[in-house]
Amino acid sequence: MERVSRFACVLVEHFDAAAIERCEPALRERPLAVVNPQVDRLDVGRHAAPRGAQTTSVMTTIEANAAAREHGVRPGMTETEARARCPMLSTRPRVEEYAASAHHALLEAALAVSPRIEDGGAGLAYVDTAGLERLIGDPAAIGRRLVHQVRAIGLIPRVGLAASRTAARMAAVNGPGPVTIVPPGRERATLAKIPLTTLALAPDLAATLGRWGVRTLGELAALPREGLAARLGPPGLRAHDLALGVDRDPFRPWTPPPFWEEAQGLDWEIDSLGILAGVLETVLERLCRRLAAVSLVADSLEVRLGLASGGHHARDVALAYPMSEVKPMLTLAVLDLEAHPPPAAVTRVAISAHPIRTQAGQGGLWQPPAPAPRDLVTVLARLAALVGADNLGSPVLLDSHRADAFAMLAFSPPSDHHAAPVRSGTSAGGASGRRLALRRTRPARRVEVETIGERPVRVEARLVVASAGPWRASGEWWDLQAWAREEWDVVLGDGALCRLARDRLAGHWYLDGFYD
Amino acid sequence: MDATVAPIRGEITEIVGGLSSGRTSHLLACLGEVVARGETAALVDTEEIFDPASAAEAGIDLRRLLWIRCAGNRDVALRAADMLVRCPGFALVALDLGERVPRLPTTAAFRLKFAVRRTDVALLIVGRRRLTGSSAALAVETLREGIEWAGPGPAPTRLARVRTTTRILRARQAASPRQASSWWSA
Repeated sequence: MERVSRFACVLVEHFDAAAIERCEPALRERPLAVVNPQVDRLDVGRHAAPRGAQTTSVMTTIEANAAAREHGVRPGMTETEARARCPMLSTRPRVEEYAASAHHALLEAALAVSPRIEDGGAGLAYVDTAGLERLIGDPAAIGRRLVHQVRAIGLIPRVGLAASRTAARMAAVNGPGPVTIVPPGRERATLAKIPLTTLALAPDLAATLGRWGVRTLGELAALPREGLAARLGPPGLRAHDLALGVDRDPFRPWTPPPFWEEAQGLDWEIDSLGILAGVLETVLERLCRRLAAVSLVADSLEVRLGLASGGHHARDVALAYPMSEVKPMLTLAVLDLEAHPPPAAVTRVAISAHPIRTQAGQGGLWQPPAPAPRDLVTVLARLAALVGADNLGSPVLLDSHRADAFAMLAFSPPSDHHAAPVRSGTSAGGASGRRLALRRTRPARRVEVETIGERPVRVEARLVVASAGPWRASGEWWDLQAWAREEWDVVLGDGALCRLARDRLAGHWYLDGFYD
Repeated sequence: MDATVAPIRGEITEIVGGLSSGRTSHLLACLGEVVARGETAALVDTEEIFDPASAAEAGIDLRRLLWIRCAGNRDVALRAADMLVRCPGFALVALDLGERVPRLPTTAAFRLKFAVRRTDVALLIVGRRRLTGSSAALAVETLREGIEWAGPGPAPTRLARVRTTTRILRARQAASPRQASSWWSA
């Protein structure tokens, strides 16, 4: 049995408008025209251009969505003409970042269905569906899966499936519904009635064929191939191949770039973090939808802000755990920008993520409840903003006999329920611990102490009722930071039970803390 | 841990007492009880008095303890505790307010109580005097009863242990016993 190679074409019509609608969903139901404000035109009317004539900037429509086209708005019209045809028309300038992000997202959505896809240009992707029948189902199911994936990233596609990419594209463009399937062997018959204008041929070639009376792909396919080659050369042969639905170009597989990025250009400058958070949320939503569409999560984020001063402000936002939720990502990004604000107003926002694939896990049945990673990372970030990152974490004792020797580590409770190694001389478990706690004074406060012999009798004019000591210790005498001290436990006249320490090298007394 | 000082999940518990009355030892005992079960605890330390060495000697797994130092700022400490009790998953959030306990409006205390109930966290507040009034389900007072010294000769060289008593000031549910004593080894 001969294996029939099949392709799907995923097409997003009026792509520049669709890319803007993806960023501003409220525009989806309204007439929208994408204009290019950078077209300069000589303002000369019907007369010859006088010497030194001034050029004026004309807003030219370069794309219109379906609602605008219903009112007669077409690419190439001036904005004035377009508004005359459709008074309710909304216009937006073309933003390169929008189109690039949307096209990238389209390719990634297609990649989630098949590992072999080809970049067909703006708003166009070809998918090799060979072998997907066993995984997904019949061609209709493959088409529906593609539509679902692309809709998930905020674009509305049309999908055609056929034996060749050209036939699939023609089916996508001219099909009656979102998914059009060309049965095997019916390519030529299906394409026969499609107008020649669908091929977007070069103007001179289209004009020649028009003069010959060729109006449809079927009429072009019926022409003798040798005659076309003799009269029109390679462009004519290529047009003939397209009309037959034959692919002559090799399939060029597309692979995703090493990082994922979403960006948003701004028409205005933002100098408030509150407003910037709204833009960040929009960009993160798009990025997270892309990640979710292919079952990936972000391991880290890079926020790059274009500044009005011409510079850039870049921040790496570490995520405590791989995530794809917008809210904790936004909280972390905003808190980081609060701590490290951009030096000038922001004109462009770009966020890239380092994606990884994770496997879902399940906690043990007898595992005690713990804060969910999403909640924990958010509350830790808020606490770090409140008290400072240095004042937050888990203490770890250092391998030293020096008083109050500890370091702070980032809080990361172990997931397993194994007890920590217990120091010698301690009792594991709080129930049987019953150890007297010391309330430390930090830093250890220097105090004036009166002594009789070496025993303290008065601490800063407070009478010592009882005392015990000295308890001598020393260390690091082999190093520059040598220390030696003697400790006294004393009860003061007001009932306070405290620990005093005398620095034997300097002779000073310190209040270590109170037993409590 | 004394039967009288057992923080209740979803409720506020207060331990009040003067300096050297044993309130911090009770706090460490509560923290140790929680982390020994493999659960997670947090300590909001207003005056940065927490001694990790004492905690380790009491058998506390410090990896399961989140320590927040507030540099003496009581407003910051209250806000930090408020954030923590709204995060589900912590078994115990301890707030050590030290010697100067601020005044907390009744409405703020009620908000704290309902936040604690919603997340089922046990909030333990330690200080010189009570903070949350009727919002606390349990309030106990600690008192020091006696001290024992140790040493080879007639003059003691080391503090041996301290005896404290806890007395229930307020209990929403009937508590038994109303008073208990404990020895704490130095």
